[in-house]
Amino acid sequence: MAAIDIDGLTKQFGDVVAVNDLDLRVEEGEIFGFLGPNGAGKSTTIDILLDFVRPTAGTVTVLGHDAQREGEAVRRKTGVLPDAYHVYERLTGRQHLEFVLEMKGSSEDVNELLERVRIADAADRKAGGYSKGMRQRLVLAMALAGDPDLLVLDEPSTGLDPNGAREMREIIQEENERGTTVFFSSHVMEQVEAVCDRVAIINRGQLVAVDTIDGLRDATETGEVLYIYVSKLNEATIERVTELDGVGSASIDDGRIRVVVDDASKFAVLQAIDAHVTSIQDFSVVESSLEDLFVRYTEDEQEVRA
Amino acid sequence: MTWLVIAKKDFRDAVQSRALWALVTVFVLLSLVSTYAYVQVPEMLGESTGATFAGLIFFTVGLTGLFVPLAAIVVCYKSLAGERELGSIKLLLSLPTNRLNVFTGKVAGRAGVLVFGLGIGLLVGLGFGSVLLGTLSPGVTLVFALVTLGFAAIYAGIMVGLSATTGSTSRATTLALGFFVVFELLWDVVPMALVYVVNGFSLPSTMPDWVFLVSQVSPSSAYLSTVVALLPGFAETAGAAPAQTSVGVEATAVEPDPFFLIPEVGIVVLVLWLVVPFLVGYYRFNAADL
Repeated sequence: MAAIDIDGLTKQFGDVVAVNDLDLRVEEGEIFGFLGPNGAGKSTTIDILLDFVRPTAGTVTVLGHDAQREGEAVRRKTGVLPDAYHVYERLTGRQHLEFVLEMKGSSEDVNELLERVRIADAADRKAGGYSKGMRQRLVLAMALAGDPDLLVLDEPSTGLDPNGAREMREIIQEENERGTTVFFSSHVMEQVEAVCDRVAIINRGQLVAVDTIDGLRDATETGEVLYIYVSKLNEATIERVTELDGVGSASIDDGRIRVVVDDASKFAVLQAIDAHVTSIQDFSVVESSLEDLFVRYTEDEQEVRA
Repeated sequence: MTWLVIAKKDFRDAVQSRALWALVTVFVLLSLVSTYAYVQVPEMLGESTGATFAGLIFFTVGLTGLFVPLAAIVVCYKSLAGERELGSIKLLLSLPTNRLNVFTGKVAGRAGVLVFGLGIGLLVGLGFGSVLLGTLSPGVTLVFALVTLGFAAIYAGIMVGLSATTGSTSRATTLALGFFVVFELLWDVVPMALVYVVNGFSLPSTMPDWVFLVSQVSPSSAYLSTVVALLPGFAETAGAAPAQTSVGVEATAVEPDPFFLIPEVGIVVLVLWLVVPFLVGYYRFNAADL
């Protein structure tokens, strides 16, 4: 059984299409990264999983339950760290967790949960006085309460310092080892890369890639990126560069030409540009990373594809 | 039963709000001062018979009829709209519950807060009054207190219901104040305006019977009538005749009355104010994208 099964999901807000015919399947037991730039439709998709928002078309099944018709059953087995949440300023961290445990009908130890997210020493302070990172940990503890089968984390590293982000990853991995499926969104490839089994990349409400980290890496390692300063740079230059052998794609990037090299030596491409298009003043080579892939998938409307 | 957990949490949260305690303080002071004024200088307030406990009760009705709506606005206008605007509603609805339970829990929690604050005020005010007057009618006091606290709870329901229809606190503020202005401040004028229009843009010499019915739509008028309906003998002692005073019409009680010309109408209206805002608020909240 799939932990999450999204089928033909579309959500319109007025004229704006936030999510456009999205299909996605997350298997039980995996850590799944949901990646995309801000405004790509990640949060809207997650909001529909949790029935905060009603879809215009399509169905979403979470842990075998229809997200819209059986939302309560979904949330009974799901721990959630929503985006843009807000804690109850006047209640202490302990009171937050007591409330959540009562709602979930769980008898777990509050202190233990607070230990796990490392804010036990602030348990009896009002959450209104917590730093952004502490609030994030508190809400994570609320998500972990009741030992859920699925964790849905919307931008879990927001507001955390590098140490906190690492701890967050450790907690995610610990939970996963206990058999919990983890679905989390991020706009930073690096965070996803470190923990995820599989990744989906979404842009402008549409799915642009779903693969394992290794699969994505294979897809990127064939291409390397050259940044070239030339004497004459305009659209015509780009078009001619694109037509050269071995050039995957070319675009204007910050006054330079950005060339993705496919199946050819970088040297040959540089020579060809210098000889046949325009003279080269300077260049640099960037080993392509997943970050590049992410950029390529999510900004490809600016590129002229070969 | 998650609504009960939500109500408890909401109450716990709100009880720590300074605004609530400011409100309780204001009401306590107000009821102390006005009780003192009523008992000590009844003639100043137009009482020829001198101060009585019954008179004090109906005097307090006037006070609570104004205070409860204002307190309900302060306590409830942000209840759901505020949580939606801030996003804490997402924390709440991430838990194993549903929107009906969240809405019900909010109504119950805020009603609890209002009843709690008002209860303290009434206890202090009426206690002080009975000490000054040297008399106390426990039965009457109990009925009056229950009706008043019920009225407060109903008002909490109205305000939470209004708050549930929107995700913006400024919109919620407008709705709450608008409700207050229309149904509490202007409502005395509305029946008159209707009569004026129906009568061909002039005022008749005697008011038609249905004016009373229209005037009863205002929650605080309905509250006053309910007190009169449940404490009839008492109302006469106190010289309170709500049907007349609330509309400023003298003729209503003279002729054989149509069925609706009785104070019990107030009870029906209050029940409607309990049910309708709940249904409307829940319907809108349930359909919303949060």
